[in-house]
Amino acid sequence: MDYKIRTEGQYTVIALRGDVDLHHSPKAREQILKYLGEQCHVMVDLADVAYIDSSGIASLIEGFQLAKQHKLQFGLVGVSEPAMQVLKLARLDRVLPIHQTISGMAPVSIR
Amino acid sequence: MDTARITSGKSVNSIKPADLPAPPQAAIQIVHACSDDSTDSKKLARLAASDMVITAEVLRVANSPFFGYGYGKKIQSIPRAVTVMGQRTLRNLVLCIAVRDAIKQDSIPGFDINAYWEDSLRRAVCARLLGRDVRLDHDECFTAGLLQDFGLLVMFFLQPDKAAMWPEMRRKNPMSRYQMEKRVFGNTHDKVGRMLAKEWGLPAELGDAISNHHGADGDAPDETHTRLCRLAYCVDWMAAVFTADDKSETLTRCRDAITRTFGLAPGVVEKHLDNVPSLVEEAATALGLGVGNQLKFADVMQEANLKLASENLSYQELTRQLEVTLEERDRLAAELNREIALAQEIQKSLLPHPDTPGQYITGINLPARELSGDFYDFFTLPDGRMYFNLGDVSGKGINAALLMAKTSSLFRCLGKTVHSPGKLLQQINRELCETTTRGMFVAVTAGLYDPANGTVRLVNAGNPPALLIGRNGTHKAYKAESPPLGIDTDTAFPEYEFNLSDDGLYLFSDGITEGFIAKDETLGITGLLTLILEVGARPAQQRLAAIVDRIRRSPEPLRDDTTILLVEKPHDNGARTD
Repeated sequence: MDYKIRTEGQYTVIALRGDVDLHHSPKAREQILKYLGEQCHVMVDLADVAYIDSSGIASLIEGFQLAKQHKLQFGLVGVSEPAMQVLKLARLDRVLPIHQTISGMAPVSIR
Repeated sequence: MDTARITSGKSVNSIKPADLPAPPQAAIQIVHACSDDSTDSKKLARLAASDMVITAEVLRVANSPFFGYGYGKKIQSIPRAVTVMGQRTLRNLVLCIAVRDAIKQDSIPGFDINAYWEDSLRRAVCARLLGRDVRLDHDECFTAGLLQDFGLLVMFFLQPDKAAMWPEMRRKNPMSRYQMEKRVFGNTHDKVGRMLAKEWGLPAELGDAISNHHGADGDAPDETHTRLCRLAYCVDWMAAVFTADDKSETLTRCRDAITRTFGLAPGVVEKHLDNVPSLVEEAATALGLGVGNQLKFADVMQEANLKLASENLSYQELTRQLEVTLEERDRLAAELNREIALAQEIQKSLLPHPDTPGQYITGINLPARELSGDFYDFFTLPDGRMYFNLGDVSGKGINAALLMAKTSSLFRCLGKTVHSPGKLLQQINRELCETTTRGMFVAVTAGLYDPANGTVRLVNAGNPPALLIGRNGTHKAYKAESPPLGIDTDTAFPEYEFNLSDDGLYLFSDGITEGFIAKDETLGITGLLTLILEVGARPAQQRLAAIVDRIRRSPEPLRDDTTILLVEKPHDNGARTD
């Protein structure tokens, strides 16, 4: 897995690529926590994720819980088919905010 | 003869002949005349008479105890010197004086020129000693030794701002010094020496020794060069034994160079080196050069041996430390393995015993590592109804195993009083939400089966669909309606309700459907359905074992904990009859 960071509007976008598994998810977690720690609104771009396991999902859940605690925005964007299958199977699509694109989102109003 | 500074701070990688220091003219004329076979002693006397200073100096040096050319009778004139010494020896002696006077004592500010001459004299003395052994003209060897590194002095003369580098350069062995010259000056003493030999019109053999006593990278010259030239290389290492920081290494390389070049017997080098300090003092007196206190070879040896001993000691110490560290690592690894084995034992005790399946419920858990993040359990309530569950904690390893232990314990404890799987999971979820960290969650499928009327109440929170499979191959999937536990306290856990009848209800973790059955091929839901139908005739326990085996036998390593549970009414012979 590797990742790229970009800024889109009010969001810091962490784009993950490849397999987000037990071996690689700590890297994803580190980035998510880093930007939330800097009080950024964070979107995780999963468009190029080929595989995500429960450890990878846990990193997203942790980000989601931390953002809620600090009244920051957190969500997923451009979720790839394999990642979406995992999220839907576990009904996590009901928990994590999922967006098609960032440009179509309402401006950040909380905080 | 005076030598004015020709240039200051001149780049030494583009030296022109005009930049070079000039030797005393009369001296160089005598050198040239001596090299000419047609020159007679009268001509030499005429030349010498043109510069009385040089004449007096030549005679003084020739009569010195070190050179002692008069053999007890003082030489008082140049023609007499020619008769006693021969033209060639006279030429070499004059050259020594010429090179000594080419750069004045104080012309490089901050540069210890006496130290330079001391090193040059050491090379000259070593060359004279070694020259005798290898049957070369030892006087010519002395001159070559004195001249061979003159290019270095010229480089400092042209770039006096580099004078501060000299002490460091002096402490290096010849090879390292050569590299340092390249870095500091962008040039080397042999290349500058070559220009000098040409410009001063030095005799061919001396020119070769000065110009070529190093190979391309400061290494030994090859066999195409004269023996004098190759001797000059060995002499460099001999002299450096007294000045280099690493005396042990320098001495070893000095012995190697001399053995390789001249095949001298062991011990010869050491015998010569022992004589070097006193001879340097004598030669310095003869040439009127000042040298400091000479380090004795015994002291050099002591320093070299100390270095060897300390290196040997640190090597032994390092080896010992490594051994201790490895022992400590093995001890800690064994301790950790013991701890994990104990945790494994405790964890297994939390799962139903694999050899005693329930009458209605059977399960198998295959951990991907020593400890599992998956679990299953079942127990009967006093009224005969049976609770069962199958859970999958996010991640793997010790942290997943601990959360697994907590969740399955909560299930067993609270399940005794809460007789609705939806409400039970709600309570466990709230408990977990209060305490879980790092986003960890638990997918759980839980059900309550009443064997009296066949009713099943089932909740799927984040697991793959539970499959109800009929004997005729019909099937129904009960997908997750809720997310896993531990994420959101307000999660609702709706229940499915259906009759088990004679069907089999299969619960499984994603380790089953995502388990590899071939390279790049996972079992998947369809594969699982097909497999269940294939093994349908076998007793329940064997059916589950066959499914898990399919994944276990794959050449791909198990990437996830793999767990499957079956709820089914018992048949007469323990297997399906159709």
